[in-house]
Amino acid sequence: MSAEPRMNFAFLRSTPAAAVGRNVGIIGAGPSGLAATGYLAANGYQVEAYDKLPRPGGLMVFGIPSSRIAPDRIQRGVTMLERQYGVLFHTRTKICCSAPLHEEEGDHFSYDMVGLADLLERHDAIMICTGSWKSRKLGVEGESLRGVYSSLEFLFPIRAVRYASPNVTVPPVEGKRVVVVGAGHSAVDVAHSAKQLGAQSVSIVYRRTATEAPCGRYEVERMVECGCTWLEQRNPLRFLGEVDVQGVEVALPDGTHEVLPADVVVTAIGEVPTPPFAKELGLENVRKGDVRWLNMTALDNVFVAGDVLTGPSKIGQAVYSGLRAARSLANWLDLRAQNRQHEYDAAADLVKR
Amino acid sequence: MTSGINETAPAQGPKDTRTLYIDYSKCIGCETCEAVCKFLYAQPRIVMVRTVDGQMLPLYCRHCDHPHCMKTCRTGSLTVDEQHAVLLNPMFCRGCQTKSCILGCPYGGVFATGEGVAVSKCDLCASRRKKGDLPACVEMCPTGAILYVEREAIPGLETDESRAAEARVTDFVRPRKEKS
Ligand SMILES: Cc1cc2nc3c(=O)[nH]c(=O)nc-3n(C[C@H](O)[C@H](O)[C@H](O)COP(=O)(O)OP(=O)(O)OC[C@H]3O[C@@H](n4cnc5c(N)ncnc54)[C@H](O)[C@@H]3O)c2cc1C
Ligand code: SF4
Ligand code: SF4
Repeated sequence: MSAEPRMNFAFLRSTPAAAVGRNVGIIGAGPSGLAATGYLAANGYQVEAYDKLPRPGGLMVFGIPSSRIAPDRIQRGVTMLERQYGVLFHTRTKICCSAPLHEEEGDHFSYDMVGLADLLERHDAIMICTGSWKSRKLGVEGESLRGVYSSLEFLFPIRAVRYASPNVTVPPVEGKRVVVVGAGHSAVDVAHSAKQLGAQSVSIVYRRTATEAPCGRYEVERMVECGCTWLEQRNPLRFLGEVDVQGVEVALPDGTHEVLPADVVVTAIGEVPTPPFAKELGLENVRKGDVRWLNMTALDNVFVAGDVLTGPSKIGQAVYSGLRAARSLANWLDLRAQNRQHEYDAAADLVKR
Repeated sequence: MTSGINETAPAQGPKDTRTLYIDYSKCIGCETCEAVCKFLYAQPRIVMVRTVDGQMLPLYCRHCDHPHCMKTCRTGSLTVDEQHAVLLNPMFCRGCQTKSCILGCPYGGVFATGEGVAVSKCDLCASRRKKGDLPACVEMCPTGAILYVEREAIPGLETDESRAAEARVTDFVRPRKEKS
């Protein structure tokens, strides 16, 4: 007996409901976008999902190592959405700003870029589920030296290279001394990946103790078992080197400094959301819950869900957000069709969070 | 597994004895099971905990052969169905202060909600089962750590890693007494 071979994003109904004659576009096919896609497709909506990457799955496929989530499980779930629920996936398609919506200098189109305004014309409603991909910077000297990566700069190519993307090269790690800054889940993933890629040594530098590490003591112990060096209570001050990084200078609790030699440094201190057109959409208000409609942005018919809204979270939270937003979107379209939007009780919807 | 999608028809044989089994060594603590359950039932019936060494793992009902929760409940709110899923009848449950069922469960699989019906527990997605659908958490787990399997098959699925991981959860639910 084995596990179900796929993530069933359309778990709500084993066969799609009768077509409701509505068409929704989902931007970003990570866990939040796929959950929303599954919910709406199961309820009889025609759903088209757009993603800039060659495969749907978001960070489940392009961030988290395949030893933890088998990419096939996600792909089979995607195939099921396509075949049984009629979902159309447009991969390698980036959604960006467009002139009619708000004029912005430097707006340009390439054939694989689609504007938000175009999408709004094409669909009855759209949902933005673009995640949180910009890595937070440490803000220390030497962060732009060659050989210094953020966690996603480091992890993404390792996963993306499987999909034969021409512009992607795996960071050279073999035989190198790698220093990882941070102790969250992405730091753990970086450490294990570096080990697997044949790093000579992997050291994890964290400013507090193992008990306080966001990844938990268990993960710290596992990294040590795998041959990584755990260096706690060390605060990185600057990265040393001329062109290539050569070391990390850290401060110890007693105030003394120490230099850790390094050929590769990865800062894994979290990501920040990079929503396209955050201001226009009034995302700050959506975050605060100050909305006319649950998960709807300042633009009518434009919804938002997942890490792009909440900042980095977890798959479960992204899924929940996607499902809630999808339900909200469907309710909005229903009431709007009858011109009864004003009957919506936002307060009642919010307390149920 | 080559057939791709597993059809959701009931298992063959006279009696369906399927229940949940989580291989904690495959679980990455992503909270998807809890999230999906919460979306469907408002109060989740599978709940994440942080173990002493900081691992996030879900607690869940094992639908035991001899359910202790059922024995301790004095209102008769807990019953078993034909598949031996342990069900809570919210009409009878009066959210008693003794919390016998919650305290009685050796797996920490019965949960206090703090509102409405004071208790929530897994019914193996009873309404979905009626339609021949699988439990929602099983459908959506990104790693395949949650299985929906015949009870008899569970011992055969356990590995050294899964047992070690399970022990960390057990330690959390029932901390071992310090022996002096
Ligand atoms: C290294 C790492 C390890 C992690 N490990 C875990 C873990 O073990 N457990 C856990 O629960 N969580 C983990 N997380 C967090 C988890 O991956 C995220 O919380 C989750 O994936 C967020 O889902 P999402 O759908 O909001 O966004 P994402 O998964 O980020 O998906 C967003 C999608 O939108 C697409 N996109 C972005 N912009 C555009 C655009 N303009 N046009 C078209 N498409 C676009 C992207 O290509 C991507 O596919 C980890 C994160 C990282 C970085
Ligand atoms: S969904 Fe699966 S992997 Fe995620 S926490 Fe639940 S059992 Fe673990
Ligand atoms: S089987 Fe259904 S009710 Fe039980 S934990 Fe899973 S989703 Fe919740």
